[in-house]
Amino acid sequence: MSRLRILVVAVLVLALTACTVPSRRGDSALGKSAVRPSEVTEVFDNYRDVWATASAVLDPKPLSTVETGAALAIDTGSFDVAQRSGSDDSRAPGPSDVVQVEAPYFTRYPLWFVAVSRNEKTQRVQVFERTSAVDPWLLVDTPEIAAGAQLPELRRREGDALAVKAANGAGMAASPQKAAAAYAAALVPGAKSGTVDVSDDTFRQQMSRTAEQNSALKGVGFSQRWSAEPVAHALRTSDGGALVFATLERLDAYEVQDGVTVTFAQDSPQQAFLQSGISTSGTLRYLHQVLLRVPPGDGPVRALGQYGGVVEAQGF
Amino acid sequence: MRTKLGWVATVLGAALALSGIAVMVLLGPDSRFTTGPHSVETDGVAIVTRPGVVTWKGLQIDVLAEVPVNKPVFVGVGNSVDVQSYVRRTRRLEVTSFNTPWDVETREVKGVAALPAAPTALDWWRSGSAGLGGASISTTLPDETSSVAVLAVGATNLSGLKITFAYGMKGGFWIGVGALLLGLGLAWGGTQARRGGLLFATASEPEDDAEVEYLYVFVDEDGVEREITAEEAERLEAEGAVTVTEHDDAPDDTSDDDQEPEPDPEPEPRPAQPSPVTASVLTAADIVAQSEQPEPEPEPEPEPEPEPEPEPEPEPEPEPEPEPEPEPEPEPEPEPEPEPEPEPEPEPEAVYVYVDDDGVEHELTAEEAQRLAAEEGFELVDETDETAEDER
Repeated sequence: MSRLRILVVAVLVLALTACTVPSRRGDSALGKSAVRPSEVTEVFDNYRDVWATASAVLDPKPLSTVETGAALAIDTGSFDVAQRSGSDDSRAPGPSDVVQVEAPYFTRYPLWFVAVSRNEKTQRVQVFERTSAVDPWLLVDTPEIAAGAQLPELRRREGDALAVKAANGAGMAASPQKAAAAYAAALVPGAKSGTVDVSDDTFRQQMSRTAEQNSALKGVGFSQRWSAEPVAHALRTSDGGALVFATLERLDAYEVQDGVTVTFAQDSPQQAFLQSGISTSGTLRYLHQVLLRVPPGDGPVRALGQYGGVVEAQGF
Repeated sequence: MRTKLGWVATVLGAALALSGIAVMVLLGPDSRFTTGPHSVETDGVAIVTRPGVVTWKGLQIDVLAEVPVNKPVFVGVGNSVDVQSYVRRTRRLEVTSFNTPWDVETREVKGVAALPAAPTALDWWRSGSAGLGGASISTTLPDETSSVAVLAVGATNLSGLKITFAYGMKGGFWIGVGALLLGLGLAWGGTQARRGGLLFATASEPEDDAEVEYLYVFVDEDGVEREITAEEAERLEAEGAVTVTEHDDAPDDTSDDDQEPEPDPEPEPRPAQPSPVTASVLTAADIVAQSEQPEPEPEPEPEPEPEPEPEPEPEPEPEPEPEPEPEPEPEPEPEPEPEPEPEPEPEPEAVYVYVDDDGVEHELTAEEAQRLAAEEGFELVDETDETAEDER
């Protein structure tokens, strides 16, 4: 090796050494990425362990250490159904792979991140949230999408996904909150189209068919109401749109004429809650966690997936 | 061009070496600067730095918190978002300004007198440690807004707290050493380049400002070549003993770039070896000729004594050898010699020659000659150089 090469190597080594020299940070802004990859692994490991314990004893109480809000309500309802029906069909999440993690950048709590986990049948787009520095990571949203479905490309800043505030409708037909409300309104049977265009997607068609079947019952007055809970989690897509995690509440009300009893199918969640059926009146409360795609411009709002079930029922 | 590059390398090397020395002196062998312990007056349960007070990244910091009577205490560094959320409702002493080595400004923030959870139960600390009576951390500040927190654990407070703080650069002292060595090497290389070395030049790039140097070679009657100095050549030519002729023996320009350059970049005449002018039998003429030369070296190597190596085994007594010629001097050493040294001339000394019955001359040492004269009764006769030269 010539001396000139030795000199070049020496200079390069010195330059690399200089990279480790302490220096003042150019940016003193407060903030952090919601989660580190190693934390995601720990969160999911803990989540699966708790689910395994709850499934083993068929008791949803342990789930409160890893879930909250609508996700906990829906899963607790599923455990109640399993207990009442005696079914051993556990809804525990089996082995799954976390194929994608999106962690927005936050300047204060609560922090949240999105993880896409995949198993043989479905994909779950799950949102874990930490409301303060002393709280654990809890699952708050968990809509399911088709196994082969792809999420739209997300917009990033320095590697972190960009969160969208619920009221921020810039560049879109509606803000995440308004889009959720518009989608819920479109699910009400016989609803007229509003100012926000909503796609006639698979979920909407399924809910419409269910409502039509219940309305067709003779001697039964059926009504259905939909409402959107406050939106807390939305991500900006690269095209200027948004992915919105919306929780929709559905209330099915039955008014039954004398001499008529409404019964539900064997082993169905409704039958587990109302085993003797409805003889006079009854109400079933559902929660549906819907992943909405709000396109840029004036495009229609569309559901990419959902996860829901009965969380409460009253019947006489 | 070579000279300019040499100057640049020399200056850069010197600056680098000085920087390395400065780093070594500032940081010391432990690569950090320590201050404390400093007493902090508080009866609360938390001391935290406000976001923006810690402005460095990559800095190695050590924090030691000591409290009396073995009270439990926690020291940690975390992202300011986490730390602020954690102590949001807690009465605390907030560090609003900090300058090294220990210039601290604080303010009291009202709140509840307890932390919302044990600091040891939280998973977001970048570095944290708890202990009884004291706790310490050693961590490198990340490239994010960080806060340092000293927290009471359990139902205690931080009264009597003393903090020792150290900061530095991980391995900084050795980086300084490396910079020093690299700088010295660069400066040396620059010096060599300025003196015409081959640090920056290749054999195929003749330099405009390269000086023409002459190499004087003396060829004796046996055809043996030996390098001599210019002064020797002038003297021999003046005496009419030799004729100086010029030959152009340029080096081969077709050498490969990867090939190691000439070991001796100095094309100046090599210093004459401490040997007689001729490689054959030393004659009186040679001795006289050498005695006329200046003696720059006060300690010439004795000739033709064996190498004065400190060997454990005693050297065998040199026996009179039938070979009349002394050992030829070793070849010029291939090692580069950065600076031409004055020609070391041997001390002129008498040569004792023993002529046997067959008329063959044998060279003897002084000791051997004295011994033979004493034991055998030989006579020691002094002869002049001219006589010796004529006898040859």
